[in-house]
Amino acid sequence: MSLPTTQRIPFLPARRMRDRVSNASRRISAMALGATMLACGGDGRAGRAPSGELLIVGYDREPDTLNRFSTHILEDIQSCVVEGLTTTDEKMNVIPLLASEVPSPENGGVRLRPDGGMDVTWKLRPGIKWHDGVPFTSADVKFTVETINSPDYNPESTEGFDRIASVDTPDSLTAVIHYREVYAPYAIQFIRGALPRHMLEGKDIDRATEYNRNPLGTGPYRVAEWKTGEYILLDKVNDYWRGPEYPRIKRILFKFVPNTNTRINQLKAGEVHVVALVPWDKYRELKDVPGLSIHSTMGNSYEHVTLNERQVEAFRDVRVRRALLLATDRELIARTILDGLAPVTDGAIQPISWAYTDSVRRYPFDLAAARAQLDTAGWTDADRDGIRERNGRPLSFTLMTQAGFAIRENVAQALQRQWRDAGVDAKIQLVDGTAISNLWFEGKFDAMLHWWHMPSDPELVSFFASDRTPPAGRNINYIADDSLTRLVYAADRTVRQVERRRYLVAAQQRLAELVPELPLYNVTRLDAIPATLENFKGNPTNTGIFWNVHEWQLR
Amino acid sequence: MSIPFASPAVTILRRIAAAVVLLLVVSVLVFALIHAAPGGPLTMYLENPNVRPEDIVRLKKALGLDRSLAEQYIAWLRGFVVGEWGYSFSDGRPVAERLAERVPATIELMAVSLLLAAIAAVPAGVVSAVRRGRFPDGTVTAISLAGISLPVFWFGLVLQLVFAVALGWLPSSGRSSVLDGGLVDRLRHMILPAIMLAAVHAAAWSRYVRAGMIDVLGQRFLISVRARGVPERQVVLRHALRNALLPFVTVVLLDAAIMVSGAVVTESVFAWPGLGGLFTEALARRDYTVLMAFLMISSATVIVLNLLADAVYRQLDPRVAA
Repeated sequence: MSLPTTQRIPFLPARRMRDRVSNASRRISAMALGATMLACGGDGRAGRAPSGELLIVGYDREPDTLNRFSTHILEDIQSCVVEGLTTTDEKMNVIPLLASEVPSPENGGVRLRPDGGMDVTWKLRPGIKWHDGVPFTSADVKFTVETINSPDYNPESTEGFDRIASVDTPDSLTAVIHYREVYAPYAIQFIRGALPRHMLEGKDIDRATEYNRNPLGTGPYRVAEWKTGEYILLDKVNDYWRGPEYPRIKRILFKFVPNTNTRINQLKAGEVHVVALVPWDKYRELKDVPGLSIHSTMGNSYEHVTLNERQVEAFRDVRVRRALLLATDRELIARTILDGLAPVTDGAIQPISWAYTDSVRRYPFDLAAARAQLDTAGWTDADRDGIRERNGRPLSFTLMTQAGFAIRENVAQALQRQWRDAGVDAKIQLVDGTAISNLWFEGKFDAMLHWWHMPSDPELVSFFASDRTPPAGRNINYIADDSLTRLVYAADRTVRQVERRRYLVAAQQRLAELVPELPLYNVTRLDAIPATLENFKGNPTNTGIFWNVHEWQLR
Repeated sequence: MSIPFASPAVTILRRIAAAVVLLLVVSVLVFALIHAAPGGPLTMYLENPNVRPEDIVRLKKALGLDRSLAEQYIAWLRGFVVGEWGYSFSDGRPVAERLAERVPATIELMAVSLLLAAIAAVPAGVVSAVRRGRFPDGTVTAISLAGISLPVFWFGLVLQLVFAVALGWLPSSGRSSVLDGGLVDRLRHMILPAIMLAAVHAAAWSRYVRAGMIDVLGQRFLISVRARGVPERQVVLRHALRNALLPFVTVVLLDAAIMVSGAVVTESVFAWPGLGGLFTEALARRDYTVLMAFLMISSATVIVLNLLADAVYRQLDPRVAA
């Protein structure tokens, strides 16, 4: 026999319950007090102010390796430790670092050979030593080239190195690089520096953990500690070659904070002092934070819509491509979604480059002109459903972009809306960052909203030459234009900048005629830094903001 | 005819054998799923305009990705069985080393969170059951439901905004301060992620305890306990709670297994350097060797803790053993 449910639940007498609650409350209060004391056990602030003693950088990911030739992510940390023969400054000029000058045809550093090859002579800055005191010499440069071209090592890229036939080292401060063919971006060939021969010769560099986690360099800092999953701490090098006054900040800490919101919270709490590449949608949140300054640098990358001509037949018609650009109100997008932070751009080469020209055909927003282009191309809205069609097929495609990238998702929606006004149907597809790279590499998309991280050298072959469609290159528009291909190849095989610029200007003009992609806006770089940080200059390229870290100084 | 009873040793051996088969099946499934996901370890390289197609081919060969999936799986399985888990595709370091250096942080966070959750859940569940239908029950129920429903990610960010940004009492993330790292500093870093992780579990567990207590408090053996004049407090805490905790122990052990797999969201929000963070990173980079080892260890942990839950249950409740 079971008891009625109401009698099953024994209730504690009210007074006893009150006593227990009271006891529990006392315990909880004591614990809370303890926790509060623990919480306030620090200096009462979550973070510490930036100083000449320590600068903390909120970094969005932990590096895979500090070996500059092996890593496939940005080299901010590495560039503080390992210096290149050259680097690029805030205006994207190639400047000498470990080299005493940048070789050029004018200074006799570059010589074209009659057999079609070329020789580049690098003069190294005298008196440079690796952090262990061993002199840095041309033998290290030669060792680097031979190692990268060796089948025993797997660097991230062999770009340019594969064109090197041999290296001569007539003396310890001269390295002559013999290229099999002309290689226009030779000046940034050694931007990642060199491998120390005395440390790595005969070793399996892919597995040389000691070097890969604590590389030997010549830069202003050395790695003091890499705490996996947490941070990398750099200590200043006391006998840095620029002189005892450099670097001016004693320690730099790169703290790994992959989550963007957390990184921004850390910045606001003062737990980190520098965050590079702040997302544009966080600008308003940060611009008024006391003690912070947002530094803006025009980027070398550009956001655009790639139109895959292989996948979508309509894109093969230049009138359709032009119509899409005419139907895009880029100024409106820049003014609203981008908060005026990123200017509209008209092509693949950005105004910061020496090769840029504004003398190209432009396509300001003009809906009527867009409609006229589509009418001429035979795309009409016969059934009055708002979408144009031709031969019974609607003008419809999928616009793919990266998921979780708020600005891009908003821009995609704006584009969808604007094109719809011209009678074009675009369906948005969001794909995660890792998957999207694979999809473009395989050409499995209709249109894609994305940007390229462009190298500082204005090389266009890989992006627009007709024989550089994947897997041979990044021509994912699948544009095939003989004139354009000739121009970009000619530029890539020309060393003198004046002559090369002529080819690149012509290539930009041809691109503006063909509209293989829809250029939208420049990827302006926003870096959050302490308001008291002096000599910060930013950088438009993947060289990163730390290229002049030795000069940084806190007031 | 009587049914022959297997000895405990035979039972354990059978369970272990079943676990091995299960792990093998899991390894095939996990391997297939990882490779079915779009992208691959070389996807990151594609973003670099300096990486040539020839580089991709070379790297593919170097990583063994040019072989058939079956060949890759067999090679991996052979290595895994003998403890050679290979090298991370991402940084070239031994996979075992990469996992091992993350384990302490995860164990630390898990242990504190489990403790906090249990400390919160048990009293809340008991009070809720004992005062069923009254104000305390309603309050605990409302808080529990809120805890279960809270988006963990959002809750973590709110904790950061309040305690780190607005009040400045606690560090917003990380496991320790640089150049500090003392015990107090470590504890201060632990508070927010542990609260975030514990809150979710405490909310759910309090419901289990409440349900268990309501069930036990309705059983007849308590009438005889009360008839012996045992004080009500002892009836509840000694007799009822002990029985009600039986299913709770199982839930805790299973949740612990999931936590060991890495509190992915918590570790991501608070930049906690544990296994969850490593998993997120390996997933983004499609670091197959790390992912496989991680997922196999996670699966093995779930299986082992399941076995442990069974064993503990048998110890706590002799009826099950019988």
